[in-house]
Amino acid sequence: MTRAEFMSRLKTGLVGMPTSAAADILNDYESHFEDGLAEGRSEAEVAEALGNPDRLARELKAEAGIRRWHQEQNPSSATAAILAVLGLGALDILFLLPLLMSVIGVILGGYAAALGFFAAGLGIMVAGPFASPPGGAFAAILAGLGFMAASVTIAAILTVFSIWLVNGVVWFARLHYRLLKPALEPQAS
Amino acid sequence: MPEPIEIQLKKGVLGLCVLALLAREDSYAYEIASRLSDAIDMGEGTIYPLMRRMQSDGWVETYLVESPAGPSRKYYRLTEAGHQALQGQGREWRRFADAVDSLVAGDATTAPETPDTQKGGDA
Repeated sequence: MTRAEFMSRLKTGLVGMPTSAAADILNDYESHFEDGLAEGRSEAEVAEALGNPDRLARELKAEAGIRRWHQEQNPSSATAAILAVLGLGALDILFLLPLLMSVIGVILGGYAAALGFFAAGLGIMVAGPFASPPGGAFAAILAGLGFMAASVTIAAILTVFSIWLVNGVVWFARLHYRLLKPALEPQAS
Repeated sequence: MPEPIEIQLKKGVLGLCVLALLAREDSYAYEIASRLSDAIDMGEGTIYPLMRRMQSDGWVETYLVESPAGPSRKYYRLTEAGHQALQGQGREWRRFADAVDSLVAGDATTAPETPDTQKGGDA
Protein backbone atom coordinates (compact mmCIF):
# COMPACT_ATOMS: atom_id res chain seq x y z
CA MET A 1 0.00 0.00 0.00
CA THR A 2 1.33 3.46 -0.82
CA ARG A 3 1.26 6.40 1.56
CA ALA A 4 -1.44 8.15 -0.51
CA GLU A 5 -3.60 5.04 -0.49
CA PHE A 6 -3.26 4.59 3.26
CA MET A 7 -4.08 8.23 3.94
CA SER A 8 -7.10 8.25 1.65
CA ARG A 9 -8.53 5.11 3.20
CA LEU A 10 -7.99 6.57 6.65
CA LYS A 11 -9.60 9.84 5.58
CA THR A 12 -12.62 8.03 4.15
CA GLY A 13 -12.97 6.10 7.39
CA LEU A 14 -12.95 9.28 9.45
CA VAL A 15 -15.82 10.91 7.55
CA GLY A 16 -18.44 12.09 10.03
CA MET A 17 -15.93 13.30 12.60
CA PRO A 18 -15.50 17.03 13.24
CA THR A 19 -13.11 18.23 10.52
CA SER A 20 -10.59 19.73 12.94
CA ALA A 21 -10.30 16.49 14.90
CA ALA A 22 -9.98 14.46 11.69
CA ALA A 23 -7.30 16.84 10.38
CA ASP A 24 -5.42 16.43 13.65
CA ILE A 25 -5.46 12.66 13.29
CA LEU A 26 -4.43 12.72 9.63
CA ASN A 27 -1.57 15.00 10.66
CA ASP A 28 -0.37 12.42 13.18
CA TYR A 29 -0.21 9.72 10.53
CA GLU A 30 1.39 12.02 7.94
CA SER A 31 4.20 12.82 10.35
CA HIS A 32 4.51 9.11 11.10
CA PHE A 33 5.22 8.57 7.40
CA GLU A 34 7.67 11.49 7.43
CA ASP A 35 9.56 10.04 10.38
CA GLY A 36 9.55 6.59 8.82
CA LEU A 37 10.85 7.83 5.48
CA ALA A 38 13.51 9.88 7.25
CA GLU A 39 14.68 6.64 8.84
CA GLY A 40 15.06 5.11 5.43
CA ARG A 41 11.97 2.91 5.41
CA SER A 42 9.83 2.71 2.31
CA GLU A 43 6.24 3.96 2.15
CA ALA A 44 5.01 0.40 1.82
CA GLU A 45 6.95 -0.71 4.89
CA VAL A 46 5.59 2.11 7.02
CA ALA A 47 2.03 1.50 5.81
CA GLU A 48 2.36 -2.20 6.53
CA ALA A 49 3.66 -1.58 10.04
CA LEU A 50 0.85 0.88 10.77
CA GLY A 51 -1.83 -1.70 10.14
CA ASN A 52 -5.24 -1.62 8.52
CA PRO A 53 -6.37 2.00 7.97
CA ASP A 54 -10.09 1.12 7.95
CA ARG A 55 -9.85 -0.51 11.34
CA LEU A 56 -7.73 2.30 12.77
CA ALA A 57 -10.32 4.81 11.55
CA ARG A 58 -13.13 2.92 13.28
CA GLU A 59 -11.20 2.81 16.52
CA LEU A 60 -10.29 6.51 16.37
CA LYS A 61 -13.87 7.42 15.59
CA ALA A 62 -15.24 5.42 18.51
CA GLU A 63 -12.69 7.03 20.81
CA ALA A 64 -13.74 10.51 19.65
CA GLY A 65 -17.43 9.66 20.03
CA ILE A 66 -16.90 8.46 23.59
CA ARG A 67 -14.90 11.58 24.45
CA ARG A 68 -17.62 13.84 23.09
CA TRP A 69 -20.24 11.97 25.14
CA HIS A 70 -18.18 12.51 28.28
CA GLN A 71 -17.93 16.22 27.51
CA GLU A 72 -21.52 16.97 26.60
CA GLN A 73 -24.29 14.60 27.60
CA ASN A 74 -27.14 15.18 25.18
CA PRO A 75 -29.20 12.94 22.90
CA SER A 76 -27.11 13.67 19.80
CA SER A 77 -23.77 12.88 21.44
CA ALA A 78 -25.30 9.77 23.02
CA THR A 79 -26.49 8.54 19.61
CA ALA A 80 -23.11 9.32 18.06
CA ALA A 81 -21.23 7.49 20.81
CA ILE A 82 -23.44 4.40 20.62
CA LEU A 83 -23.27 4.27 16.82
CA ALA A 84 -19.50 4.69 16.81
CA VAL A 85 -19.13 1.97 19.41
CA LEU A 86 -21.40 -0.35 17.42
CA GLY A 87 -19.21 0.40 14.39
CA LEU A 88 -16.36 -1.35 16.18
CA GLY A 89 -18.26 -4.53 15.51
CA ALA A 90 -17.51 -6.17 18.81
CA LEU A 91 -19.86 -9.11 18.56
CA ASP A 92 -21.03 -9.01 22.16
CA ILE A 93 -22.65 -5.67 21.56
CA LEU A 94 -24.66 -7.11 18.70
CA PHE A 95 -25.88 -9.87 20.98
CA LEU A 96 -26.93 -7.22 23.47
CA LEU A 97 -28.74 -5.22 20.80
CA PRO A 98 -32.25 -6.71 21.23
CA LEU A 99 -32.08 -6.17 24.98
CA LEU A 100 -30.76 -2.66 24.46
CA MET A 101 -33.56 -1.92 22.01
CA SER A 102 -36.25 -2.97 24.46
CA VAL A 103 -34.71 -0.91 27.24
CA ILE A 104 -34.58 2.10 24.93
CA GLY A 105 -38.22 1.44 24.05
CA VAL A 106 -39.21 1.45 27.71
CA ILE A 107 -37.34 4.72 28.23
CA LEU A 108 -39.05 6.35 25.24
CA GLY A 109 -42.41 5.08 26.52
CA GLY A 110 -41.62 6.63 29.89
CA TYR A 111 -40.89 9.95 28.26
CA ALA A 112 -44.18 9.79 26.35
CA ALA A 113 -46.05 9.05 29.58
CA ALA A 114 -44.34 12.00 31.28
CA LEU A 115 -45.37 14.23 28.39
CA GLY A 116 -48.95 12.95 28.66
CA PHE A 117 -49.02 13.63 32.40
CA PHE A 118 -47.73 17.13 31.81
CA ALA A 119 -50.43 17.84 29.20
CA ALA A 120 -53.13 16.40 31.47
CA GLY A 121 -51.93 18.55 34.35
CA LEU A 122 -51.99 21.63 32.17
CA GLY A 123 -55.51 20.78 31.04
CA ILE A 124 -56.74 20.32 34.61
CA MET A 125 -55.17 23.56 35.71
CA VAL A 126 -56.53 25.64 32.84
CA ALA A 127 -59.92 24.05 32.16
CA GLY A 128 -60.64 22.56 35.62
CA PRO A 129 -61.74 25.74 37.39
CA PHE A 130 -64.53 26.28 34.81
CA ALA A 131 -65.95 22.77 35.20
CA SER A 132 -67.06 23.37 38.81
CA PRO A 133 -64.86 20.60 40.24
CA PRO A 134 -65.21 19.09 43.70
CA GLY A 135 -63.30 21.21 46.21
CA GLY A 136 -63.51 24.36 44.13
CA ALA A 137 -61.49 26.03 41.40
CA PHE A 138 -58.41 26.48 43.59
CA ALA A 139 -58.16 22.73 44.23
CA ALA A 140 -58.27 22.06 40.47
CA ILE A 141 -55.39 24.46 39.88
CA LEU A 142 -53.33 22.79 42.60
CA ALA A 143 -54.13 19.34 41.23
CA GLY A 144 -53.00 20.44 37.79
CA LEU A 145 -49.74 21.80 39.21
CA GLY A 146 -49.25 18.53 41.05
CA PHE A 147 -49.63 16.51 37.86
CA MET A 148 -47.12 18.68 36.04
CA ALA A 149 -44.59 18.45 38.87
CA ALA A 150 -44.95 14.66 38.90
CA SER A 151 -44.33 14.48 35.16
CA VAL A 152 -41.19 16.63 35.45
CA THR A 153 -39.94 14.31 38.19
CA ILE A 154 -40.51 11.26 36.02
CA ALA A 155 -38.67 12.87 33.11
CA ALA A 156 -35.74 13.80 35.35
CA ILE A 157 -35.44 10.26 36.69
CA LEU A 158 -35.60 8.89 33.15
CA THR A 159 -32.85 11.27 32.05
CA VAL A 160 -30.55 10.15 34.83
CA PHE A 161 -31.30 6.55 33.91
CA SER A 162 -30.61 7.15 30.20
CA ILE A 163 -27.24 8.76 30.92
CA TRP A 164 -26.36 5.84 33.13
CA LEU A 165 -27.39 3.42 30.37
CA VAL A 166 -25.22 5.09 27.71
CA ASN A 167 -22.26 5.16 30.09
CA GLY A 168 -22.78 1.47 30.73
CA VAL A 169 -22.88 0.57 27.04
CA VAL A 170 -19.79 2.64 26.28
CA TRP A 171 -17.89 1.11 29.18
CA PHE A 172 -18.89 -2.40 28.13
CA ALA A 173 -17.93 -1.84 24.51
CA ARG A 174 -14.56 -0.36 25.33
CA LEU A 175 -13.73 -3.17 27.69
CA HIS A 176 -14.65 -5.86 25.22
CA TYR A 177 -13.23 -4.18 22.20
CA ARG A 178 -9.86 -3.82 23.82
CA LEU A 179 -9.74 -7.50 24.66
CA LEU A 180 -11.43 -8.96 21.64
CA LYS A 181 -9.89 -7.06 18.80
CA PRO A 182 -6.26 -7.92 18.29
CA ALA A 183 -3.65 -5.22 17.97
CA LEU A 184 -2.08 -7.19 15.19
CA GLU A 185 -4.69 -8.09 12.69
CA PRO A 186 -3.66 -10.32 9.82
CA GLN A 187 -2.78 -7.70 7.23
CA ALA A 188 -5.70 -7.79 4.82
CA SER A 189 -4.35 -6.48 1.57
CA MET B 1 1.31 -15.60 13.15
CA PRO B 2 1.09 -15.11 16.93
CA GLU B 3 -1.43 -17.05 18.99
CA PRO B 4 -4.65 -15.17 19.89
CA ILE B 5 -3.84 -15.21 23.60
CA GLU B 6 -0.51 -13.57 22.91
CA ILE B 7 -2.19 -10.78 20.98
CA GLN B 8 -4.75 -10.18 23.68
CA LEU B 9 -2.12 -10.08 26.38
CA LYS B 10 -0.08 -7.61 24.40
CA LYS B 11 -2.98 -5.34 23.75
CA GLY B 12 -3.87 -5.41 27.41
CA VAL B 13 -0.47 -4.24 28.57
CA LEU B 14 0.16 -1.79 25.75
CA GLY B 15 -1.12 1.13 27.81
CA LEU B 16 1.07 0.16 30.74
CA CYS B 17 4.14 -0.03 28.47
CA VAL B 18 3.47 3.44 27.08
CA LEU B 19 3.08 4.85 30.58
CA ALA B 20 6.37 3.25 31.61
CA LEU B 21 8.20 4.61 28.56
CA LEU B 22 6.87 8.12 29.11
CA ALA B 23 7.74 8.02 32.81
CA ARG B 24 11.39 7.71 31.81
CA GLU B 25 11.35 10.55 29.28
CA ASP B 26 8.95 12.58 27.16
CA SER B 27 8.60 11.21 23.68
CA TYR B 28 6.73 11.49 20.39
CA ALA B 29 4.40 8.91 18.88
CA TYR B 30 6.74 7.58 16.19
CA GLU B 31 9.46 6.90 18.72
CA ILE B 32 7.05 5.27 21.18
CA ALA B 33 5.59 3.13 18.41
CA SER B 34 8.93 1.94 17.09
CA ARG B 35 10.25 1.12 20.54
CA LEU B 36 7.11 -0.80 21.41
CA SER B 37 6.93 -2.61 18.10
CA ASP B 38 10.55 -3.71 18.56
CA ALA B 39 9.88 -4.94 22.06
CA ILE B 40 6.45 -6.49 21.85
CA ASP B 41 5.71 -6.66 18.13
CA MET B 42 2.48 -4.66 17.82
CA GLY B 43 0.93 -2.75 14.94
CA GLU B 44 2.44 0.73 14.97
CA GLY B 45 -0.81 2.42 13.99
CA THR B 46 -2.43 1.35 17.25
CA ILE B 47 -0.38 3.93 19.10
CA TYR B 48 -2.54 6.83 17.89
CA PRO B 49 -5.93 5.65 19.16
CA LEU B 50 -4.17 4.71 22.38
CA MET B 51 -2.51 8.11 22.81
CA ARG B 52 -5.85 9.80 22.19
CA ARG B 53 -7.52 7.66 24.80
CA MET B 54 -4.80 8.43 27.32
CA GLN B 55 -5.07 12.10 26.52
CA SER B 56 -8.81 12.13 27.10
CA ASP B 57 -8.31 10.18 30.33
CA GLY B 58 -5.95 12.97 31.39
CA TRP B 59 -2.91 10.69 31.71
CA VAL B 60 -0.75 12.46 29.14
CA GLU B 61 -0.50 15.99 27.76
CA THR B 62 1.13 17.22 24.58
CA TYR B 63 3.45 20.04 23.62
CA LEU B 64 5.08 20.99 20.36
CA VAL B 65 8.82 20.98 19.80
CA GLU B 66 10.51 22.55 16.80
CA SER B 67 11.95 19.86 14.61
CA PRO B 68 15.18 20.39 12.63
CA ALA B 69 13.55 18.91 9.55
CA GLY B 70 9.92 19.54 8.64
CA PRO B 71 7.03 20.68 10.87
CA SER B 72 7.20 20.77 14.67
CA ARG B 73 6.77 17.53 16.52
CA LYS B 74 4.09 16.60 19.06
CA TYR B 75 5.65 15.38 22.28
CA TYR B 76 3.80 13.53 25.03
CA ARG B 77 4.41 14.08 28.72
CA LEU B 78 2.99 12.10 31.65
CA THR B 79 0.64 14.04 33.95
CA GLU B 80 0.31 13.57 37.69
CA ALA B 81 -2.72 11.34 37.04
CA GLY B 82 -0.62 9.40 34.54
CA HIS B 83 2.05 8.73 37.12
CA GLN B 84 -0.60 7.48 39.51
CA ALA B 85 -2.09 5.26 36.81
CA LEU B 86 1.37 3.83 36.13
CA GLN B 87 1.86 3.02 39.80
CA GLY B 88 -1.53 1.36 40.14
CA GLN B 89 -1.32 -0.61 36.90
CA GLY B 90 2.29 -1.52 37.51
CA ARG B 91 1.40 -2.98 40.88
CA GLU B 92 -1.50 -4.93 39.38
CA TRP B 93 0.71 -6.22 36.59
CA ARG B 94 3.40 -7.35 39.02
CA ARG B 95 0.88 -9.23 41.10
CA PHE B 96 -0.65 -10.85 38.03
CA ALA B 97 2.71 -11.74 36.46
CA ASP B 98 4.00 -13.19 39.73
CA ALA B 99 0.89 -15.32 40.12
CA VAL B 100 1.15 -16.62 36.55
CA ASP B 101 4.90 -17.19 36.94
CA SER B 102 4.49 -19.27 40.04
CA LEU B 103 1.64 -21.26 38.51
CA VAL B 104 3.54 -21.97 35.32
CA ALA B 105 6.80 -22.76 37.12
CA GLY B 106 5.05 -24.65 39.91
CA ASP B 107 3.34 -26.91 37.41
CA ALA B 108 6.31 -29.25 37.15
CA THR B 109 7.17 -29.51 40.86
CA THR B 110 3.88 -29.48 42.75
CA ALA B 111 1.36 -30.89 40.32
CA PRO B 112 1.90 -34.61 41.10
CA GLU B 113 1.09 -34.00 44.79
CA THR B 114 -2.52 -32.91 44.86
CA PRO B 115 -3.95 -31.60 48.16
CA ASP B 116 -6.25 -34.64 48.34
CA THR B 117 -3.52 -37.25 48.41
CA GLN B 118 -1.55 -35.21 50.94
CA LYS B 119 -4.51 -35.12 53.28
CA GLY B 120 -5.04 -38.83 52.87
CA GLY B 121 -1.40 -39.50 53.77
CA ASP B 122 -1.60 -37.40 56.95
CA ALA B 123 -4.69 -39.13 58.26
